[in-house]
Amino acid sequence: MGGPVWLSAIFAAMMLVVAVYCTGRLVVARRWRRPTELDTDGAHVVMGVAMAGMLVSGLRAPLPTGLWEGVFGAGAVWFGAQALRARRGPVTSPWRCLHAAPHLVECVAMVYMFLLLPAAVVIKSAAGRMGAMAVSSAGSRFSFLALLMAVFLLGYVIWLGDRLMPRSPALALAAQPPAASALVAVPSGAATSASTSATASATASAAATASASATAPAACHAAAPAPRCLAPRCALLCKAAMGMTMGYMLILML
Amino acid sequence: MSESVAVARAAARAGPADQARFAALEPRRKLQLALALVWLLDGILQFQPWMFSKAFPQMLADSAQGNPAVLAAPITWSAGLIGHHLTVLNALFATIQVALGLGIACRASVKYALGASVAWSLGVWWFGEGFGGVLAGTASPVNGAPGAVILYALLAVLLWPADTDPADTDPGAPFVAGRAVGRRAAQALWLVLWGSLAFFSLTPASRAPQAISGTISAMAAGEPSWLAWIDSHAASALAHQGLAASIVLAAAFGIIAAGIYASARSVIIAALVMTVALWLAQGLGGIFTGMGTDVESAPLLALIALAFWPSATAAEAASATASATASEAGAA
Repeated sequence: MGGPVWLSAIFAAMMLVVAVYCTGRLVVARRWRRPTELDTDGAHVVMGVAMAGMLVSGLRAPLPTGLWEGVFGAGAVWFGAQALRARRGPVTSPWRCLHAAPHLVECVAMVYMFLLLPAAVVIKSAAGRMGAMAVSSAGSRFSFLALLMAVFLLGYVIWLGDRLMPRSPALALAAQPPAASALVAVPSGAATSASTSATASATASAAATASASATAPAACHAAAPAPRCLAPRCALLCKAAMGMTMGYMLILML
Repeated sequence: MSESVAVARAAARAGPADQARFAALEPRRKLQLALALVWLLDGILQFQPWMFSKAFPQMLADSAQGNPAVLAAPITWSAGLIGHHLTVLNALFATIQVALGLGIACRASVKYALGASVAWSLGVWWFGEGFGGVLAGTASPVNGAPGAVILYALLAVLLWPADTDPADTDPGAPFVAGRAVGRRAAQALWLVLWGSLAFFSLTPASRAPQAISGTISAMAAGEPSWLAWIDSHAASALAHQGLAASIVLAAAFGIIAAGIYASARSVIIAALVMTVALWLAQGLGGIFTGMGTDVESAPLLALIALAFWPSATAAEAASATASATASEAGAA
């Protein structure tokens, strides 16, 4: 793929680290019975390996043509179904991803890159060493799609950063759409008094939360009786690394 | 109490019931995250292969042209330094921009990141953009005047996580931009910004017969066919119409500048429409060419406009006042 060799190697190394770490998460989650988003971690293992191979040709797995597209197409279908299911009702399993849309976009982006990359590589080889990777005319037609996906994924990284609270493990977890819908939103401008209103509104919303908890999903972020989620901050960092690397690759393909 | 400290303290005592609260973002936080996204995107763009080529420091050196010697010499010097240590320095620049985006996104570091972004923006405005051509007489709204990067600094100030009124009940600050610097100061900044765009629309760089047309047509190179079609047709329509186009632009920007003191909502909508047109004329910042260093000024102008959008409480207060006035008039 285009870009300085050393930079591609850094991103590829990061993707391999994510893939290895997510493999470990899957093993540990099964062994210790600590909930984790199995589908997300599994997708990140496969994506990490695939992206490392795209960034550094020496890491490319000798797989049949079309296999990667099929794998990520199936992943897109899975996460698309999860996203539709989430719209109909709360996610009930602590072993499924809460926010499927970003992973759906990731899978679509992988299919996009695998479909366009071979043509782009041919053009670059023909043109000699160029400062930027040339994209075929087909890729140029869909470059706006690549930009949209890149912006979405980078926006997802920003959203994850907003949820990362170093001092509060609870807030590093995924959001809880069902609980969120049961609570009254903080009015605009109340942030400066959030420290005092937090306690007051927590009391006021306790009733709503109590009623919501009866149907609330037993997700990673659930109340105390549920098993603790497996390293939520690390999971968040993996998602951010994946989003940023994929955003970089899509930008290269514009 | 600043927003970031309040949020952090509340987070320290947060339980499951409070998690959703923090999931509901207030308008200023949403704009901060949008700014963070732009910084992150700029950082990723800075990692493009073209930025690691000799063309990048050459572009920086070209920005010195037309500036006073005392300001141009450091630009030329820095471009030379970057040319000699291109890989390391460009990677550093990109990493800094990525870090700024992530820093603004993370609530614990938003203040530090915004402060750092102001310093970084001022430096890039000088050494990277040559003050946006303002002193060189080449500034035009179509080519990004007054310089896209200075708008990052302005946004950081307007979105600073602090309130002039700790209770935030001041009805005089009915929009996000007025919370940190006060309503009057924010409106003055708006007037200066859009007024400057009106001024730059009338300079020789804009009003020459082929000025605007030539700038737009130059953007078409390297773009996707659909965007090149838009730019080439716009350039054709404006060919030999530089003076008329610049007068129309100046009038539009002038109305937007002054209108903030009257009907804010309609002025902001007009400003947003102008930014869309500007962004198309700017070729979306050259993102598709592989040589775009940033998204250009238009998206940042849009964020600034959104920072002046009347808040819900202000709109309710205005509506209540209007209703009371109407009922009093009816009773009389």
